[in-house]
Amino acid sequence: MSAVRVPRSPKVLIGAGLVAFFAVLTVVGPWLAPDNPNATNFTANLRPSSSHWLGTTALGQDIWSQLLVGARATMIVAIVAGVVATLLSMIIGVAAGYLGGKPDEGLSLLSNVFLAIPGLPLLIVIDSYLPAGGRSNSFVIGLIISLTGWAWGARVLRAQTMSLRNRDFVEAARIVGESRLRIMMFEIAPNLLPVLASSLLFTVLYSIGAYVTLAYVGLTSTAVWNWGTMLYWAQANNAPLANQWWWFVPPGVCIALIGTGLALMNFGIDEFINPRLRSAGLSGRIRRTSGLPRRPRLGFTPVARTATPRATWEAGSR
Amino acid sequence: MSERPTTSEATTLEDDTVLAIEDFCVDYGWGDAAVRAVNHVNLSVRRSRVLGVAGESGSGKSTLVYAATRLLRPPGVISGGHVSLTFDDPTSSDAKRRTVDLLAATPSELRAIRWSQVSIVLQSALNALNPVLRIGHEFDEVLSTHRPGMKKAQRRERAAELLSLVGLNADRLARFPHELSGGQRQRVMIALALALDPQLVIMDEPTTALDVVTQREIVNELAQLRARFGFSMIFITHDLSLLVELADDIAVMYAGNVVEWAPANDLYGAPRHPYTLGLLNSSPPLSGERRELVGIAGSPPDLSQPIAGCSFHDRCPFAFEKCSSQAPELRVLDDSGRKVACWLHDSPADVPVALRRRPRDATRVGAQTPSNAEGVV
Amino acid sequence: MLLRRLSLYLVTAWVAITVNFLLPRMMPGNPVQQLIGKLTGQVTVQQVRAIELAFGIGLHQNLWDQYIGYWHQLLVGNLGVSITLSTPVSSVLQSAVPWTIGLIGVSTILSFLVGTVTGTLLGWFRGSRLDSLIPVATFFQAVPYFFLGTVVLLVFGSNLHWFPVLGAYSQSVTPGWHWDFVFSLVRYGELPVITIVLSSVAGWMLGMRNMMITMIAEDFVLMAVAKGLPRRKVIMHAARNAVLPSVANLSLAIGLVVSGALLVELVFNYPGVGDLLLQAVLNEDYPLIQGIFLVITMTVLAANLLADVFYFVLDPRTRTEAAV
Ligand SMILES: Nc1ncnc2c1ncn2[C@@H]1O[C@H](COP(=O)(O)OP(=O)(O)OP(=O)(O)O)[C@@H](O)[C@H]1O
Ligand SMILES: [Mg+2]
Repeated sequence: MSAVRVPRSPKVLIGAGLVAFFAVLTVVGPWLAPDNPNATNFTANLRPSSSHWLGTTALGQDIWSQLLVGARATMIVAIVAGVVATLLSMIIGVAAGYLGGKPDEGLSLLSNVFLAIPGLPLLIVIDSYLPAGGRSNSFVIGLIISLTGWAWGARVLRAQTMSLRNRDFVEAARIVGESRLRIMMFEIAPNLLPVLASSLLFTVLYSIGAYVTLAYVGLTSTAVWNWGTMLYWAQANNAPLANQWWWFVPPGVCIALIGTGLALMNFGIDEFINPRLRSAGLSGRIRRTSGLPRRPRLGFTPVARTATPRATWEAGSR
Repeated sequence: MSERPTTSEATTLEDDTVLAIEDFCVDYGWGDAAVRAVNHVNLSVRRSRVLGVAGESGSGKSTLVYAATRLLRPPGVISGGHVSLTFDDPTSSDAKRRTVDLLAATPSELRAIRWSQVSIVLQSALNALNPVLRIGHEFDEVLSTHRPGMKKAQRRERAAELLSLVGLNADRLARFPHELSGGQRQRVMIALALALDPQLVIMDEPTTALDVVTQREIVNELAQLRARFGFSMIFITHDLSLLVELADDIAVMYAGNVVEWAPANDLYGAPRHPYTLGLLNSSPPLSGERRELVGIAGSPPDLSQPIAGCSFHDRCPFAFEKCSSQAPELRVLDDSGRKVACWLHDSPADVPVALRRRPRDATRVGAQTPSNAEGVV
Repeated sequence: MLLRRLSLYLVTAWVAITVNFLLPRMMPGNPVQQLIGKLTGQVTVQQVRAIELAFGIGLHQNLWDQYIGYWHQLLVGNLGVSITLSTPVSSVLQSAVPWTIGLIGVSTILSFLVGTVTGTLLGWFRGSRLDSLIPVATFFQAVPYFFLGTVVLLVFGSNLHWFPVLGAYSQSVTPGWHWDFVFSLVRYGELPVITIVLSSVAGWMLGMRNMMITMIAEDFVLMAVAKGLPRRKVIMHAARNAVLPSVANLSLAIGLVVSGALLVELVFNYPGVGDLLLQAVLNEDYPLIQGIFLVITMTVLAANLLADVFYFVLDPRTRTEAAV
């Protein structure tokens, strides 16, 4: 557990690359934008060209600039929501799993209730009551999203904590007389890192989806540029029906790519947590030289006569 | 007799041998990372006889039998040798005996042989039975796969009959595995293993997970069943005293090697390998005099490191220089046919007293008579 | 076990209802005035009354009495009156809910089946060329439902004309239980269903794959091979156990699918609750929003219970626990 060795499969590398790319875009995106995303001083409905890489909207705004600027709001909400939700799920999950008994029952009930209520409708209901100021505030939106997104992680973390609770090192800390809070924070939590990381990836993924959806439905401030509002405006102006793919496809693809990146990274964590999932295939060179099949087949142990026969066991018996 | 069949003997021996394992090597991993878990093993199982395989945990007993039946999971690889199974061919009308090279067999050939000729019982029956299927389903499935002619009612009848063989009521067929006790589950597995009258039944520590009383009951039942149906058996355990009651021959394994092979009573009464002696001293005696139990000092070697000389030399109380440089081979010791891989027996005069005892006479009845048709126990 | 789940759902239902009751009453300012201000033009007395009811204003009751009253109304099936449509919310919902249940039910079952079957094969034939499905499915999972819907609608509906789009059935057939209508229903349902299945299948697929890989390491699967069973049966032995966690998760996933599917309805103009919800949100028709939320939650809870019963049937171990 100490040496964190994340498996370096192509899947994980591609995922990490995608995530890193969008992380950089979050920071530098708005600076890279050639134009003000709100400026309406261009010809409307331009196709992509060298001056407007992704064309213009029906209002004559530069789509490329909107995409770059929108990255930041999208990612900030996702990160705020993801981090807050993961913290919530850690606190609730670890407490429930470690304390057991009555506190566990209460906390489990709480997370199960949140799991059972469909998230998006709840989000929409809460959001529809928000005053306009709240809707334009990325942090408020992020917090509300985290409220609907923590329960799954809490459940997983609770199960993991319960399996750790009776391990030797926890037992030892208990005997030494460390406080429960200390044990939870310094003995158990570090061992939950892989699960926490996986949970963070998923809540960020969920939050992007939820935020973009809220924006698309028109429940966030349309003054804040994010990929969801871009889709909202594209839809409102019938861009899909007019085949203006350069308007509505880029934000959608960006969302899909960052999501794919997160999910691919999670494969690495999965393999880290569950060693059985690690690839059992052979590298090409060994396979060629040994004559082993590429994919081991259950119940048909491969035969590769690589052992040197024992000299005294005279040849010729077969 | 597991003498290597020479061409002239082959015909006579073939009638007698069910499973022949020759110069068998099994590795875990491949290339530079390979670990030799079974090392040039020669063994044979004779018709209607029981071969006992004993050895400490990690000595390669399971690896040997799984690999021989091609059931070993990755990263296990068979890296050399031959395994052949001889059985009465059910498809030929004149009941001719047929020999199949298990290492060259195609998947469909293996499938046809599996369970109908070779069945296997694992250490933990809870894991071996599918937790979501009723016991009856397991029987039904095996019978319908291998006996397509059987009708559903016949299959059910057969399943009930098999259960009664192991002392279970037919109403267990409707139960799920978790509703049975450990002993009952293991009995179900044994009944299942006998479902198709196989030539050979492999038992990989079938009783280790059970309490001593149940263990004893099941071993007695097994002896009776075997006497009645005449199947051959490989019985794996680390409890030598259990084997003496059941086995005709015993092979003792250490670090992937067979270090001693002998008829059961000879081995039990008069071990010739220091490791066998150590094993005997660390298991409770069969009967009679109390004996102080002493474990073997040290622990089995790490197989991933190459071992110079005899694999047992660093734990052996009798080791001398040669043991740490040259690996002894399994060689016939005397005219009783027993074999041992130990340098001590090169110069008979120097053999320690503990390793030159004379075999006592039979401690049990029937086991050594050539025909096992008469009752046992 | 089933009883435990049932009580969980009852608690959840209570929480949802209470949240629904409290939210409008916690709003700052005077929402009634704001709303009436927004409803430019003539505001009928009915509308004002509907708003006041929704926000619990002008009742001159304390919160507790209002709460009791709220429950009374709910139990007799009164969800208030829609502000924009001026019709009872319950009757509005009555016509929309069956569409949503049908669409989501069919999609969820299909997605579960397709995902489970492909996941089984992916787990068993690990390392084969089938593995290239994984990144593809992962990508589709990451695409927001409504975006995928839009693209699919555009490419296969508007441009290629492979599927009819917009609405739930052709305008030229009259609704009823005859072949033309059912056929039209199926044809119009194809694209929305495909969209939802594509977006949600990866979860089932990957979960099943991982469980299969875990199961293959179990002894009973090796025993199935040792019994000489044909490969198909061996796979079934593993799959029969591997599917259990998927079924256990079914109840949790329904909520997620519903969330996405509502938006797919929107994209395809499907006459279900999704479209209604958007309209309600845009018009700030609070009674309608609340009614929809309640109905969705209750439906999801009922579906959860169904999924739990399914699990109960599949895993004999839970049954004995309950019996003992
Ligand atoms: N998957 C594996 N990879 C590498 N080495 C393995 C693997 N499985 C087993 N081994 C090694 O092979 C050796 C033989 O193992 P095996 O299971 O055959 O022992 P055994 O005699 O059956 O022991 P037991 O009495 O505990 O069942 C052991 O030293 C073990 O460490
Ligand atoms: Mg073993």
